[in-house]
Amino acid sequence: MDSAPSITFHVVGPLREYCAGATELSISACTVRAALENLEQSQSALYRNLCDETGKVRKHLNVFVNADNMRDLNGVDTTLTSGDVVTILPAVSGG
Amino acid sequence: MADRVILTIGTKKGVFVAEAAKPRRSFALRGPFGPGVPVYATLIDTRGTPHLYASSCNPFFGMKVLRSTDMGKSFKETKSAPAFPKDDGRALANIWSLEPGGGKKELLCGVEPASLFKSRDGGDSWEMVNGINNHEHARKWNPGNGGLCMHTIIRDGNRVHLGISTGGHYLSEDGGDTFTASNKGVGAGFAPDPYPEFGQCVHKIVRHDDAPGRMYMQNHGGWAEWTGPGGPRPDIGVLRSDDYGHTWRSIAKGLPSDFGFPILVHPNDPDTVYVMPLEPSTRTCPGGVPAVWRSENGGDSWSRLTRGLPKKESYFTVLRDAMDIDELKTPALYFGTTTGQLWIGREGGEKWECLFDALPPIHNVKVAVV
Repeated sequence: MDSAPSITFHVVGPLREYCAGATELSISACTVRAALENLEQSQSALYRNLCDETGKVRKHLNVFVNADNMRDLNGVDTTLTSGDVVTILPAVSGG
Repeated sequence: MADRVILTIGTKKGVFVAEAAKPRRSFALRGPFGPGVPVYATLIDTRGTPHLYASSCNPFFGMKVLRSTDMGKSFKETKSAPAFPKDDGRALANIWSLEPGGGKKELLCGVEPASLFKSRDGGDSWEMVNGINNHEHARKWNPGNGGLCMHTIIRDGNRVHLGISTGGHYLSEDGGDTFTASNKGVGAGFAPDPYPEFGQCVHKIVRHDDAPGRMYMQNHGGWAEWTGPGGPRPDIGVLRSDDYGHTWRSIAKGLPSDFGFPILVHPNDPDTVYVMPLEPSTRTCPGGVPAVWRSENGGDSWSRLTRGLPKKESYFTVLRDAMDIDELKTPALYFGTTTGQLWIGREGGEKWECLFDALPPIHNVKVAVV
């Protein structure tokens, strides 16, 4: 039986075409890393937009757990609890 | 019957397609496709029903390959882009070149970090070409200012030539199974050894079917004044080979600068070659006056083509893949600038005219008659 907490993965607009238009995905995962591994299996096209071939989150993306950037928490090892919302956003840039 | 001239224009903000009837009086522009995303490589694949391809190099969400089957009226992502195996340790940073392969639907793709991928199904799936990607030199190459890119792929029967910045020229004579660094006579200005085995900053290489063995190279020149270890190394920037790229010699004498990015050969005359010299320190037009230079004797002498081009205050750069030449009887040249202008050089570059003057910065221009 899967005891991992159920969290919500929020899909930003430009990436919805890679998951059949979904705005949110429900995932069971204990950590951000586990959430990404879940997406690698269940939403491989979406996953390729988020992580490079080595499995690292693409460098110009920021991962938020609720309102906190994961880099201010424990990176991809940040623990998730039931009801958390994970959002991946492009970094602000211009030009 | 081929009656249209098609241009693909890869820019910092997507790919544009321009089309004209064969007299090339005026071009209609479509796009941008893949809007907002840099495009460094395009291909007009004229084998069978023409297909257009463009790399879409999204700094946020990774690399994609776009394909058009309707002559650039629309583009769709292919099913996948080149990718390194998970345990390789490298990650795709950019797509720099797309070329037709040997098979009907085969494509070759040069990427950053410098590696070669092959697709057998028109870009829907990709495999590594291990002969170069796992070459003993591959982990020793260093990135130049544009990154560590494989920008040139030339097939010539069983030979495959690759241009890598900064890696140099690599040659396969067994259809791409194995590669050898082939840089004898190709100088490097940024290393104590002026003629290393590999590691040169090759900018572009071209060849012509009618002159077997002949090749022209735009290398990273601009080192005539160098006074550091190894001493000055003038005229290493524009080179010619007559033995399939095994050895190279300078043909830069007579040019205002041996630094530049693109190099072209005339489609109907292998002795006619074009370069666009730039100031080595700024990568801009010498003195603010752009000029394409042409040799009609294989690089023995050069003449300046400027009619119609600005006479002053022009400080743009023309990047390595931003100049091309069509294959009509009296061909036209085309170049795109980092300031977003697309120029046509009619009558083999004798008369220049700006076709579009406010596109995004241009990385890539390809032309085909379809």
